[in-house]
Amino acid sequence: MAYKDAAARRARVLGAFKIRDGIFHGLTLAAALAVLIILGGVIISLIEGSLPAIRAFGFGFVYSSVWNPVTNQFGALAAIYGTLVTSAIAMLIAVPIGIGIGIFLTELCPEGLRRPIGIAVELLAGIPSIIYGIWGLFVFAPFLQQHIQPGLIAAFANVPILSSLFAGPPYGIGMLTAGFILAIMVLPFIAAISRDVFATVPAVLKEAGRGIGCTTWEAVRHIVVPYARVGVIGGVMLGLGRALGETMAVTFVIGNADAIPRSLLAPGTTISAAIANEFTEAVGDLYTSSLIELGLILFIITFFVLAIARFMLIRLERKAGKT
Amino acid sequence: MTSGAEVRNELPTKISVKDLKFFYGENLALKSINMPLYANKVTALIGPSGCGKSTLLRVLNRMYDLYPRQRAEGEVILDGTNILDPHQDLNLLRARVGMVFQKPTPFPMTIYDNIAFGIKLYEKLPKSELDGRVEAALRGAAIWDEVQDKLNASGLSLSGGQQQRLCIARTVAIHPEVILFDEPCSALDPISTAKVEELIDELKENYTIAIVTHNMQQAARVSEYACFMYLGELIEFATTSQLFTSPENTRTQNYITGRFG
Repeated sequence: MAYKDAAARRARVLGAFKIRDGIFHGLTLAAALAVLIILGGVIISLIEGSLPAIRAFGFGFVYSSVWNPVTNQFGALAAIYGTLVTSAIAMLIAVPIGIGIGIFLTELCPEGLRRPIGIAVELLAGIPSIIYGIWGLFVFAPFLQQHIQPGLIAAFANVPILSSLFAGPPYGIGMLTAGFILAIMVLPFIAAISRDVFATVPAVLKEAGRGIGCTTWEAVRHIVVPYARVGVIGGVMLGLGRALGETMAVTFVIGNADAIPRSLLAPGTTISAAIANEFTEAVGDLYTSSLIELGLILFIITFFVLAIARFMLIRLERKAGKT
Repeated sequence: MTSGAEVRNELPTKISVKDLKFFYGENLALKSINMPLYANKVTALIGPSGCGKSTLLRVLNRMYDLYPRQRAEGEVILDGTNILDPHQDLNLLRARVGMVFQKPTPFPMTIYDNIAFGIKLYEKLPKSELDGRVEAALRGAAIWDEVQDKLNASGLSLSGGQQQRLCIARTVAIHPEVILFDEPCSALDPISTAKVEELIDELKENYTIAIVTHNMQQAARVSEYACFMYLGELIEFATTSQLFTSPENTRTQNYITGRFG
């Protein structure tokens, strides 16, 4: 009798477990589906909002650089160009420095310096972008204007190609300044992630490298970095994603000129800066719709960056023979 | 410490450890070790965990130098020069004194590059000659037959035993003079272990070998000389047969008969 009671009680408890498990499953599933719904919603509203502009300009929107609210002519090329170029400058500067910081912190840094530098890197990541914006406008841009840009112009004056990239009057604000600011902003991401993934390289693997007579440089170059490359690329892509979409700091220092500047020293614009600057004053459906289409394009660019990163990782893995 | 004294004077000594003390920070881990490694012989280091065997091995190629707060005192004479000298070129030393680790440590690159990488650090060879060196090293480590068709596959795609032989091949490829084995078979199955042991037996023709092992039978099978260490001290050094059949020290006897450790 007692045995039967126990069995019945156990069945009841197990039944309750089953219900709880079911609820748990349902909740987590809902959380995961929420991501898809939000993502889908964003895409749909972006497309819907940009339909008037797509109808009016078609594919020409992407390769026209005319942006004239007065005549209702809109083209995204200047903003796309500005976005890509400022991000490229940022990555060109931040990737080597960030990876260098990661290597220094994990492989070379004296014990006592490791924490202070690590914390400083994390603090750098925590600075709000508006602060970079005002600092860039009031401190960094004038500094560049007075001390760096004249030097650049003079240095490259007689070098073909570079002379046109670094031509014209030193405004202070412009594409190059925006690129520098972006570099400072994404640097802590790349540095912190590089440090974390380099720290996961097993000590014995480094010892094995040293064991066949590698110098520190050779061990880092051929063993530590290849071992951690997937993580490093992830960090770089995170940084690039931030650089592409960064709005506030860039808007402050890029100059907001709706044209494709020949020189890196000249003012330009980016997608996010254009949207932030002009949304409040956008009168008329076509103007608003064009700005939304800019957003859609930024979304697509970011998507492609992620896709290319994935593709590169797969190719790397295959090259290393893992698959 | 008295046994084997008579042979000691007859055999050429490759490395001789003199009054070696080793510190982890303030911790004295090796207490005045004296022992030889005879040229072209296999010397086994045995003793319970934490007795300092691996530490001693890591002094012989100064691997401890990678870590701050670890230091050695005394002398380790390799072919007449003291390698503990601060002016010793560490990369050169590690090229002369190779090391195989407890866990297989293939580099994150292809099988071919795992071997070629080490060679290329020291020599600029034309491709054909490099190919020859890689093949010779892989043959030397008895793994050529298993990998010759997939030299471009990742070193990580091999089984544990194959990876360990790949690491031995990598060590052999740069023509060291001494090879240190730090429990090379502890992560391997019996068949792979047998292969590695056989390999060690062949390697001693050209190299001086020291091996740390927890496996008494393995020590007995592969080594000619053996030393028993306990709590950072070298208790007894003798020929392997003598150490295992008639040890002079009771602690040695207790350990090899399994009464402690």
